[in-house]
Amino acid sequence: MAHIKVVRRSMRPEEWTDLRFGWLKRHIYSSKWEIENLEIRDARQVSEMEFEYYSDSYRPLKKGDMYFTPDGTAFIRADVTLPDELKGKELWFSLKTAAEICVKVNGKYIGGVDPNRERMLLSPYIDENEVLHFDMMGYNRSKPDDERNPESLSVRGCRQIFEGAYITTVNHAVQELVWDFELLLDIAKSDLFNEDYRAFLNRELNNAMNLINFDEDTISGVEEAKKYVDEVIYANDTYKGSGDVALIAHSHLDVAYYWRRIHAVQKNLRTVLIQLRLMDKYPDFKYTHTQPYVYETLERYYPEVFEELKEKVAAGQFEPVGAMYVEPDCNVPSAESLIRQCLYGQKTYERMFGKRVNNAWLPDVFGNSWILPQILKKSGVDYFVSNKMSTWNDTNRFPHNNFKWKGIDGSEVYASVPPTHFITWNMPSQIQENWEAYQDKDQGGQTLNMFGYGDGGSGCTEEMVEMMHRFDKLSVMPKCEHISGAEFLEKNLKDNDNLTVWDGELYLEMHRGTFTTKSDLKKINRRLEYKIRAAEMVSLMRNEDNTERITEAYKKLLINQFHDILPGSHIHPVYKDAMADYREIEAELDKIIGTGKKYFNTLNFTRKSLTFVPNKKGSSVRYGEKGNWLIPDIPSLSSACLRSTAFKGEWITAGERVETPYYSVLFNPDGSIASLYDKELCREWVKGDFNKLKLYTDNPGNYDAWDILPNYKDKQIPYEISEPLHFAGVDGECAEFICTLRTEKSEWQRIIRLFRRSRGIEVENNVNWNEKHVLAKAEFTPDVLTRKVLCDTSAGYTERETHRNTTWQQARFECCHHKWCDMSEFGGGVALINDGKYGIGIDEGAMSLSLLRATIRPDVVSDMGKHSFCYMILPHGGDPISAGINETATEYNVPLVKCDAEWTLPHFEGLFLQAAKKSEDGTMTVIRLSEQKGTRGKIQLDRKVKILNMLEETECETDVIEYKPFEIITVGL
Amino acid sequence: MTVKSYVESILQPKLQGDGGWVEFVSLESEELTLIFRGECSKYLILHRCVAWIEEQIKADLKKTVKVNAIRKRPYFQDV
Repeated sequence: MAHIKVVRRSMRPEEWTDLRFGWLKRHIYSSKWEIENLEIRDARQVSEMEFEYYSDSYRPLKKGDMYFTPDGTAFIRADVTLPDELKGKELWFSLKTAAEICVKVNGKYIGGVDPNRERMLLSPYIDENEVLHFDMMGYNRSKPDDERNPESLSVRGCRQIFEGAYITTVNHAVQELVWDFELLLDIAKSDLFNEDYRAFLNRELNNAMNLINFDEDTISGVEEAKKYVDEVIYANDTYKGSGDVALIAHSHLDVAYYWRRIHAVQKNLRTVLIQLRLMDKYPDFKYTHTQPYVYETLERYYPEVFEELKEKVAAGQFEPVGAMYVEPDCNVPSAESLIRQCLYGQKTYERMFGKRVNNAWLPDVFGNSWILPQILKKSGVDYFVSNKMSTWNDTNRFPHNNFKWKGIDGSEVYASVPPTHFITWNMPSQIQENWEAYQDKDQGGQTLNMFGYGDGGSGCTEEMVEMMHRFDKLSVMPKCEHISGAEFLEKNLKDNDNLTVWDGELYLEMHRGTFTTKSDLKKINRRLEYKIRAAEMVSLMRNEDNTERITEAYKKLLINQFHDILPGSHIHPVYKDAMADYREIEAELDKIIGTGKKYFNTLNFTRKSLTFVPNKKGSSVRYGEKGNWLIPDIPSLSSACLRSTAFKGEWITAGERVETPYYSVLFNPDGSIASLYDKELCREWVKGDFNKLKLYTDNPGNYDAWDILPNYKDKQIPYEISEPLHFAGVDGECAEFICTLRTEKSEWQRIIRLFRRSRGIEVENNVNWNEKHVLAKAEFTPDVLTRKVLCDTSAGYTERETHRNTTWQQARFECCHHKWCDMSEFGGGVALINDGKYGIGIDEGAMSLSLLRATIRPDVVSDMGKHSFCYMILPHGGDPISAGINETATEYNVPLVKCDAEWTLPHFEGLFLQAAKKSEDGTMTVIRLSEQKGTRGKIQLDRKVKILNMLEETECETDVIEYKPFEIITVGL
Repeated sequence: MTVKSYVESILQPKLQGDGGWVEFVSLESEELTLIFRGECSKYLILHRCVAWIEEQIKADLKKTVKVNAIRKRPYFQDV
């Protein structure tokens, strides 16, 4: 029998106030005139501005009808002749909906409605003597976890009941009093405020409510109640609050998440539109909006709204923030991608508004690489804002809110990690919570408090602005100032020498699964990052101007680095869109790169690593493609014809132990290695599990695609060895051993390659993956005594501690790395080099490469299906830097390019040639160099070059490039 | 077009667009059994979507079906 909790007590006074507050809200509209001739046409959006209509014509839409269809867009229209009784009044358009609707009247966008707001002002935008042509476009893509609005949550879904559309008039006296009560009841219910003041509020709000007569059909006593609130409640200044809070209006807009990128075009339109209308009504209202990419879509598809936006930008009300083209993931993208985010973002803002921004605004990204401060600083960005570390860390409280962030190279930017979430609705309790959580009260100036709904956009509401206008009437509230994002940063952080320095990555102690989820996206993103590099270089060499084509491809890649795309936290159609984009990008780059007879080494150092070169007549097979393993030995930025050498001698014996020129190996049947004796260095490398595939149950809860929990090792999933490791073939360079492992649903083939002329041991994995909530890792416990793992960042390396002494190390059990990681002691170590994996588990003396996950939210079939990927185990003497691990890993990831043109520019050997491109203005060649070893030095050139910032502006000229550890230098030729 | 392929090729992409998921299980007489996963599995108003599916099949395939909807919620939302 169901248990029903029955509360047997009389109503409390504050509950009586609440009840009457509900009654009061029913009187907000003084009149409602229903639009009864609405018509609707259902459609499905198929591209940014194309719709597949389900019918040729519109059908009537009446109150009580179902509207919206799965993945649907609804077009709603009506021609309305205003009745005389409405003329001369201030009119509003009201439509209560759980969907999201943009409203146009007589060709002008007048506003939007969604679960967070239900009306817009009509009068200023119409001629009341004209017929009003209403055109609405609605879509039904609310985010799934709206915290504020349980009413809309209960009716969330693809089919909605139409509740009618009305032209209304508002009883402003009631509305004002409702906002007063909203504000004061929030304080009365919050434990964060003084208990005596809350008792005072509860008593006086009841007294105010007692002045209203609800018993008649028309409400009375509202003015008296309002007067009482003003003269008794607002007038009270006995209770003093403290604090200094900057209120910054913002709406977080996920370019894709529970919706596709094509839908973000309209979500952005609605968001911008709503904010513009608030600016019309409230001249003091300022709003910050990120992502130049979404400004571009507005400019392209809704130019009339974009023109309005530009006017508001010029007036200082609408504030473009965030230098990056989208809000990207800041773990997985390479340094050059992050630079391009800034370059294309800043150029876009400059073109649109004649100015750049000096901040990076990334409220929702899942941690931030240590390479970021330098990239920001050299892209004209002095300030960094991101909320996640303060509000989402699962282990440690991030110790600063306003601080300086020092990057891997020593560059510093000012940083703000606001104490609370980036989505708030500007309630006193939220502001008080922010102030109380703020840790830099003494030296940081104001605390940053963002308000506005977000994720799916929408932003601020009338109510939020009205709340703000009342805060200074309340002595119990912190001092509040509504300012722009840039104003906040410059006022509080600029030249503030008291700020503490955080020197290290901004690791997020959550969402550790996003280094691994949707592994295909990560692998292809890596491949395309290098292919774009090759396309730019080849274009330069051939003196072809492909800037426009490459920029388009780059921007598409950058969009897909958005923090809910590349990390894998999205619905299935978003994955399909990304893969389609990747195919388009790759096809275009292949066209640009073309072909040639010779192989060109795009790296500015000699390729000495054994490399697989595809060849239809080759004697080896890798990724199902024939080719040869050979040492290209092609000098820096040079071309050569390649020919494989046919080594005929015996170089490997496979008995109980496998003997190669480098190793004596004892394999286990599952492909793991029981012993790896190094003949050259005379030492054993294996201490425990080594190249051991492990499958773990991976049940992180609601943040399924995002998280791996610290206890993921609690339950291991067994697998069978359906085909024990066996010798499978050999040519003059490479010997293969194959085994196949099985679970009930999946099959995992491991091809292990040993080489005649390489210390590397490659593992190719061909997986038919059909698991649910399983994390696959390759674990390595080398016989190495060390307390640190070096992890590639794509532009230098970071050291991470392996021990679990403190909660800070404990929390970093899973980290992001790029092409390689390494555990070394003095004299030698073991590196793991990958071709598209980013998650690395760190646990005492072991490291584990995260290979695949199998999550079901948001995408029910995330990562299901076939996967092929390789990694290389590379034991080495010396330290990883002197052993050239970074160079080997780069060769492993950067293929030779068939191109006969010649490189005529300097080689800049000693630094990594990260990019070479035509400048954005077409006047020079831009070379990006990065120091990746942690050393300093100089390069003497035979000519003077320009030293540029990352926005390609000249800073000085020199013929000697002096570089510091991990410095990224941009040169103009 | 069979009901199975209609569910898989016409309805499935639409439901996926809202973060939902539908799978064909069986069609016996007029009873069409479908599994709903993802966002569909926790919708309080799934019956509205189910009614729409029945209408669509009626309109497009001229077949009358009664959908037997099985919700497969993920364990972390099974409350």
